[in-house]
Amino acid sequence: MARKITTDLVDSIKEMVHHLATTHARSFAHLTYADLRIEVAEGKAAAAENGSSKFSTEDYGFAFGVRVLAGERMIAPGYFGRSLGAADLDQLEKLLKEGLEKAYRRAMANGELKATVREKFGSLGDSLMDARLHPIQVRQEVVPAECEIDPRTMVLGEMVRYTTDVSKQVGGVHAHLKYNFISTMTQLSRELFASSEGALIDQAFALTQGLCYVVAVAGETSQELYDVLGHQRGWEILERGVDEPFIKFPPFTEFARVLAGEAVELAAAPALPSTDREVAVVTDPHYNTLVSHEIIGHPVELDRVLKMETAYAGRSWLLRTLDEHQVGKPVASPLVTAYSDPSLPGYGHYKYDHEGTPARRVVHIEKGIFKGFMNSRQTAAIFGGDPNGHWKATDASLVPLIRMSNTVFAQGEGHARDIIAEVDHGYYLVGHRIPSIAESRENFRISARKVYEIRNGQLDQLYRDGGIMADTKDYLMKVDAVGSDFRLYPIPNCGKGQPMQTKKLGNGGPTMRSRARLTGAVVGRME
Amino acid sequence: MIATSELAKAAKQAFEYVKAQPDIQECEVFAAADGALLTRVNYTSHIPCNGVEEPKSTESYGIGIQAAVKTPDGITIGFGSEPSDLTLEGAKRALGKARQGAVRDPEFHSLPRPTGEPRTLADYHDPKLLHVQDEGLVEAGWKVVTGALRTFMASSRLAELAGSEAAMKRLGLILGGDVTMLQERVAIVSTHMPTVQVDESTLIMGFLTAMVEARNAKGSGWSTGTRLDHFTDEAGVDAATNAIQAIGGERVRSGDYTVIFGKQPVTDILNNLVLPACTASSFYSSSTPFVGKLGKPVASPLLTIYDHGAMPGFMGSKGITCEGLPTGRTDLIRNGVLVGCLTNWYEAQRLLRDARITEKLGVEAAAARSALLPRNGFRFGAGGGRQFDMPPGIAASNVVVEGAESSSLDELIAKVRNGLYVGRIWYTYPINGLRAGDFTCTVVGDSFIIKDGRLAAPIKANAIRINDNFIRLLAHIVGITKDVKGTLVWAADEVVYAPEVAVTGVHLDEIAGFMEDLT
Repeated sequence: MARKITTDLVDSIKEMVHHLATTHARSFAHLTYADLRIEVAEGKAAAAENGSSKFSTEDYGFAFGVRVLAGERMIAPGYFGRSLGAADLDQLEKLLKEGLEKAYRRAMANGELKATVREKFGSLGDSLMDARLHPIQVRQEVVPAECEIDPRTMVLGEMVRYTTDVSKQVGGVHAHLKYNFISTMTQLSRELFASSEGALIDQAFALTQGLCYVVAVAGETSQELYDVLGHQRGWEILERGVDEPFIKFPPFTEFARVLAGEAVELAAAPALPSTDREVAVVTDPHYNTLVSHEIIGHPVELDRVLKMETAYAGRSWLLRTLDEHQVGKPVASPLVTAYSDPSLPGYGHYKYDHEGTPARRVVHIEKGIFKGFMNSRQTAAIFGGDPNGHWKATDASLVPLIRMSNTVFAQGEGHARDIIAEVDHGYYLVGHRIPSIAESRENFRISARKVYEIRNGQLDQLYRDGGIMADTKDYLMKVDAVGSDFRLYPIPNCGKGQPMQTKKLGNGGPTMRSRARLTGAVVGRME
Repeated sequence: MIATSELAKAAKQAFEYVKAQPDIQECEVFAAADGALLTRVNYTSHIPCNGVEEPKSTESYGIGIQAAVKTPDGITIGFGSEPSDLTLEGAKRALGKARQGAVRDPEFHSLPRPTGEPRTLADYHDPKLLHVQDEGLVEAGWKVVTGALRTFMASSRLAELAGSEAAMKRLGLILGGDVTMLQERVAIVSTHMPTVQVDESTLIMGFLTAMVEARNAKGSGWSTGTRLDHFTDEAGVDAATNAIQAIGGERVRSGDYTVIFGKQPVTDILNNLVLPACTASSFYSSSTPFVGKLGKPVASPLLTIYDHGAMPGFMGSKGITCEGLPTGRTDLIRNGVLVGCLTNWYEAQRLLRDARITEKLGVEAAAARSALLPRNGFRFGAGGGRQFDMPPGIAASNVVVEGAESSSLDELIAKVRNGLYVGRIWYTYPINGLRAGDFTCTVVGDSFIIKDGRLAAPIKANAIRINDNFIRLLAHIVGITKDVKGTLVWAADEVVYAPEVAVTGVHLDEIAGFMEDLT
């Protein structure tokens, strides 16, 4: 009978995996590097719609992934990934060896063809180089998870009752609420990383999340809103909320009811008109969470900067060539500082990335001057600079990419109320909704949950279906106020990679003020 | 990879066990084995690179069980799965999870029952694609890379711009994208369809983007197919050719234009806007702009859109859905009138019993029945493949767009006379929510200015943003070409067999002027 899969499994396989990554992998004739990643997760989830239970599950996840760099004439990468089950436990070592061998064969074939193409295509072959990784300090460490209520101790039936009750309460907020979907999840995962260099890192993570999606309809207008409450903690965050210096949430029931109330209020509000010219805009920390994600975080991922995402997520306006880029140049107002910091709490927190690099804060913009990128060992070897630990995958069977940790605008010194009060006429954008960003992140349009007109320093008319559009550099250069009310929020669904990896990470910032065009609803042109 | 016969045997064994349990009212066993082989390409002439960056694969197999469980409180419905174990022990574990997770869902009425439609597609997969070796995976990637490099090398335009062949690399030639092969095997059996059904599907696709970056010129190339022998370097060659053609792009002023949307933008607009709006769950949640419009005009009479999962030779075809029902043609918009929805069994059943069906669909249940045939219950996930570890969702398969008065692209360009041809868009989202219909995106390549009835000049990449409403777009179609091509967009499940579509009054805003002065 197959044994049960639990996160404790990692303890029993650690030495075997370490041996495979070092002794066994090093026995391959032309191997220069190998790593193995194994992930075990125990999770529970529940969902409800319109006050009725819809789904619940308690299950495990178990998968591994292999990277090999090898080659005879040229060194190239090869990868292999596989999901696993309880029935695989007795033959785990054999499966891992097979995975290593498959990745090695792919790397060898890849290296051979790379050498052939390099020879065949003259100057266009010159850029085909050996795959190299920037050196890092090789570590061995165990990093525990942090939570009060261990996800493994939650009773699934209780989660179902709680989730269904939240859905019922949301449905009772107003008759205009036509639909609601509520889901909750809590899980403990454990990631084991071993490399041929001798690294052996065992990290555990607790993660709990509540999601609320609502549709309110008033006559011919409607509002669909969704938001998440989440943290790398246990179930306590849904029941009690979060009250930390940078992360603050009410209990999930209140969080969901407030969102529902907003949808009702907005469905009855007028649509925001667009403007042809820039206006003063004040943006709150929740809205700036998405701004920091889209126009700071993504364009500073060094894989896309080096054109590796040209076909998918796009490039970055911050670098044209290795000699022509914005490092050291002004790209924002002197009031703007932005960085990525895996040591901050929340969805973007971790100690080591998925190639064993100790993760650390990397400053992207310091007082308006562009300073540098999030990177991986491979991209650091190409561009220069030390690896800062941002190579992450959403599942051990998938190949990591450069991903944000907690990417944020730093706080300033102003009070949010003063930043609004100083505006004679402008708009206050509250809460992020939906983004659309240009390919190299040089322009953005992001809608807000709520837009208030500001008149004489006071909030006035509320509008629905509005946001702003701006060129990234212009917008950042025009920032003339930064608040002290710094907040971190979870982003549950950042998509990148092929196949698409939908990742949880953190973003945030304080209240800020700049100038941009308003983008409202398309009205008056419909006939 | 696990043989289909093994999956069938496991599904039957599990089914016999589960249905014999006294607390099980009805059940469905779905066994699947998936392989996804993907070679990601990254060539940059001006930055050190690997050419083929990631030759990789993921594999999984297992068994998933949906069970309606009799309890003292009534019937509950649950789903459970077990990976890497097709034995009876694995089935017991999956059933245990289904029982543990089962909930009382008042909208559950039954698991899928036969619809009366026959299965029309069988034995359509390519055995060669099921047995691709590591070397074959790597070679597929280098095939498209060398296709693009040959095209760059042979270009007199590039040689002229660079001044010499040796200097060509300084033009910043880029090729990115991937070649993906999916291997899917499934077996399904249920209380209402107690004979085991099996399905094997394979597909191969290439999706490439090339650039002459020093000239901000971008081009796309793609290919879709079901047979390994048919896979060529076409996607790499096309991408490089189109990038070279895009050199010399011009800016376009803000304003309203007649726009011919190329095959990729048509696919992108369908994937992100139109198909979600035609999905049964969007009607259930009142989040589609088509609420209450079944049987009513929602687009120009020129436009017809249907999904056809049983079309021989089309890349998204399957013999059966992941609910064991036959795939087939579902008309969504016929001559501008909304006539159907994409749905699975569960969503169809609950909409047809919904007390608010007239408000949501615009017709009563009897009239809606033919519009809600469950031909699209698929368990797509993990970047492709039919996953054993999830209950069925709703996904399109092959989506075909047709025009009532089809013309050639040259004829359509001549008819538009002055306007724009937009060949590739990006980040196309319903910016104010799906029901509002407002959308935005940017134009990222493959695009041209139309002047005096011909393509006059390329449009500069990343220099205009479209800000409009897709309901308005559908109503203002003035022409559709007759030639369609299977077209992919990033992270989409379906393939759209897309023509070019001309629309009047499309609003564009000029963007990113600062890039002209960036040093």
